This record gives sequence, C-alpha cells and structure tokens, in this order.
Amino acid sequence: MAFADTLEHPTEARAWKGSIPVWHRYTAGIAGERFLRTLQEQGKILGARCEPCGVTYVPPRMYCERCLKPLAESSWTEVGPRGELVSFTRVYLDLDGNRLETPRWVGLVRLEGASGVLLHYLQAPEGALLRSGMKVEAVLKPARDRRGSILDILHWKVL
Amino acid sequence: MMDQWVYATTGLHEKDFEAGQVLVETWEGKAEYAWDTGIAMGRFLEELRRGRLVGRRCNSCRRILFPPRMFCELCFRPTAEWVTLGQTGTVITYSLVHVRWDMVRLEQPQVPAVIAMDGAAQGMGILHLLGEVAPEKVKMGMRVQAVWKPAEDREGSITDIRYFKPIR
Repeated sequence: MAFADTLEHPTEARAWKGSIPVWHRYTAGIAGERFLRTLQEQGKILGARCEPCGVTYVPPRMYCERCLKPLAESSWTEVGPRGELVSFTRVYLDLDGNRLETPRWVGLVRLEGASGVLLHYLQAPEGALLRSGMKVEAVLKPARDRRGSILDILHWKVL
Repeated sequence: MMDQWVYATTGLHEKDFEAGQVLVETWEGKAEYAWDTGIAMGRFLEELRRGRLVGRRCNSCRRILFPPRMFCELCFRPTAEWVTLGQTGTVITYSLVHVRWDMVRLEQPQVPAVIAMDGAAQGMGILHLLGEVAPEKVKMGMRVQAVWKPAEDREGSITDIRYFKPIR
C-alpha cells in the first residue's frame, strides 16, 4: 500500500497517454489556385497590384490587405523572373531535425515588380560568397515536371 | 452598404477533391500526448482501480474536494489529508444524448449526469453516465450509487465505474 505523497518507485508516476487524430486539407484559394496554375502551365510568376497603395502582392491576393480594394484580373501582372536577394541562410537540418546529407542555401528574394519577398532554395556556385543585393533569377522545373506547387520553382539562381 | 465588403465565396464538395478540381495540400498528423496526472489525480485514479473514491480535505474550510486537489482553491493553501468517500450521490443535472462524442447516432440515448457524491463539498460534482434507468425516469435530485467493472477489468480510469444507478 505505497500511497506516500512522494513516489518511491518511478513506475508509480502516472501519465495518461492518448492521441488526437488530426488531418487537414489546405486549398490554395481562388487567387492562389490561379497563381499556381499559371506557374505550372505558363511558367510565369504572377502578382496583383493595388495602384492606390502602390503595392504588388506576390502571390496575388483577392483584395488589397491595406485598403480592402478588390484586386480584379486587370490588376494582375507578371513579376520576375529576376530579382534581388534580400537575405539568405544555410540550412543543415530537415523539418524533423535530421541532418541533411548536403546543406542547402535558402534565400528571400524580391522579384522585379513585387513589393514583398518569397522564400525558396538558393543555388549558388560552390564556395561563392553570398551578399544581400545580389541579382538572382527564378529557375523553374521543366513544364512536364510542374505540379501546380510553389516547388515548380526549382530555386533562385545567383547570377 | 456592407455589400461592398462581401465577396462571393466558392464552396467545395468532396467530389471536387476527388476529381482533382482544386490544388490541395493534405496533412495527416497524430497528436500524441502523455498527460502527467500529478499527485492528486494519480492517487484518485489508483484508488478507482481498487474500487474506491477518494477526495482531499482542506483543514481550513473543512471542505472535502472531490475529485481531489492538492490545494484548496478557496483558502489557497495545501489540502491536508485523503478522505475515502462512499459510493452514493445525488444527480444534480443530466442530459439525454442522441449523438455520441464521435458523431455516432444513438438509438437509445446515453444519459450523462453531474453527480454530487455524498460527503464532498457543496458545488462539487463529477460527470459520469447513468445506467439501469429509463431516460424518462431520470430526475434531478435522484439518489444514485456507483456500479463498478469487475476488479480485473479496472484500469485506473473513471470508466472503472460503469455508471451510476438509482438506489432503490
């Protein structure tokens, strides 16, 4: 009858174990769908411009986040494929914390015509010295390998 | 006037996903957890395995907290001792449930009830099921007693009590 308030045997420590099944389906939305399909089918990167606010959203939005003006199809525009490297870092671990066989660069890029930045893999020559402000270009997968995913962009290539 | 801010929405049906009409990312996860029961609930669950109901008494306000807590929430001081309660109590409130927690339709309603165990402080109650009683016969204030699983089937869980039945 070991009912002391301090435990003498670690096996008496109780834990209630359980699991909650969770799953989700995340759709791209109307604007996102069009952005990804255009990337897949035409190899173009689209943005949506709110002229009064002077902002071009990439990926495009249905309406301007700042003034709530609907961004009609006529305000959609192509951006890139070139851009400027804003920031970058070296990645050594995958999402589960396992060491990558080969470390990778990722970079934040402001494409020509875009207001914001996009994150993606960065391809740089071995031993290259990277610097914010460098010019890069989006490299896409061959058309037959594109799936309507942001990964249809293979990486940014340092020019 | 508000119409200018209302955007047409697009509904999606299961068949749209099956037909691949939209781009979708699917993720399936299993949120596994281990919840540390702590001293009070640990002992409470262990005693359930032994077919007993225990609470804790606060020596300041003399209330018996059930389920037990290591501190009294009114006096804000540690509770003093374990107390074994009896097997009987009173139905404070109840509900007739025709759809189970996992969305399964029930032909015969389940009757969850809040039961105030004899000896526990005023306002204390536990949630459990009522059994061996016709749903239409259940009344607030009904006197009930615990019906347990056989000893060898108990796991140290509130479900070691199968349900509470009316004291006849």
